[in-house]
Amino acid sequence: MPNRAQHAIRQLFFPEAGFSSITTSGSGGKAEVGIIGREGLVGASPILLGSDRTPHEQFIQNAGEVLSVDTEALCAAVRQSASLHKLLLRSIQVQMIQTAQTAFANATYNLDVRLCRWLLMCQDRLDGDELHLTHEFLSLMLGSQRSSTTLAIQALEGHQLIKARRGRITILNREAMEAVADGSYGLPEAEYARLIEGA
Amino acid sequence: MPRYFFNVRHRPGPAGLSEDLEGDELADVNAAREHALSVARKMIARDRLTMIRDWMVCSFEIVDEEGRPVLTVPFSDTVLELEGWD
Repeated sequence: MPNRAQHAIRQLFFPEAGFSSITTSGSGGKAEVGIIGREGLVGASPILLGSDRTPHEQFIQNAGEVLSVDTEALCAAVRQSASLHKLLLRSIQVQMIQTAQTAFANATYNLDVRLCRWLLMCQDRLDGDELHLTHEFLSLMLGSQRSSTTLAIQALEGHQLIKARRGRITILNREAMEAVADGSYGLPEAEYARLIEGA
Repeated sequence: MPRYFFNVRHRPGPAGLSEDLEGDELADVNAAREHALSVARKMIARDRLTMIRDWMVCSFEIVDEEGRPVLTVPFSDTVLELEGWD
């Protein structure tokens, strides 16, 4: 179901539950470069910007209900509606801001802060406080070694921000996590509020 | 293949040991040591954690599936390898 890297995109997806991790990889490893959940449309960027495919992988996370639309149907709808086109372009703009923020976060903040940011972004896209994922998987997303990820998780746990059990992380104190995430979190979310919710 | 768990000792005492609950499947103890060194090198080079001031004081305390100690690999061993250079 998720679109494979370098394959023509035949369907786009609105995650109603769960979210998609966009990843890129090379000889040095793999890392997540974007998250798209119920706020967005998976596949929108390449299709609406004139490419039929993307070199990035898409992983479905915390899978739940997903609405799909055939690429051709979406393109036809966009041709017919300037306001739909504009809304989707704004959504892509928000996604770009998020990707840029990820680059900034990776360059500037320590792993424990980046972990906070990622957990907050996941919680934004899910209902509730519980995330089902392994340290191994989190390491893939954050581009870190699993042992470092485990240390970061335990640091957050030590400050009672989260509770970590095997395969499961529960967010306990969102406000404190936003404080720890500091400038790494919030900008794309503010742009979403401005461009999509406020539109 | 046996599974080894790479606990990280970052300071003395029980609070200073970070437990690996997931582990890695590796052929034998030698493979576990090589893996530990490889991972330690990457952690030193790329992973910045607020509470780790100096990776060089850390070590991997590797245990088996029964929780029995197998091997300790100090992160500083990643540097010793260079001593063969003239």
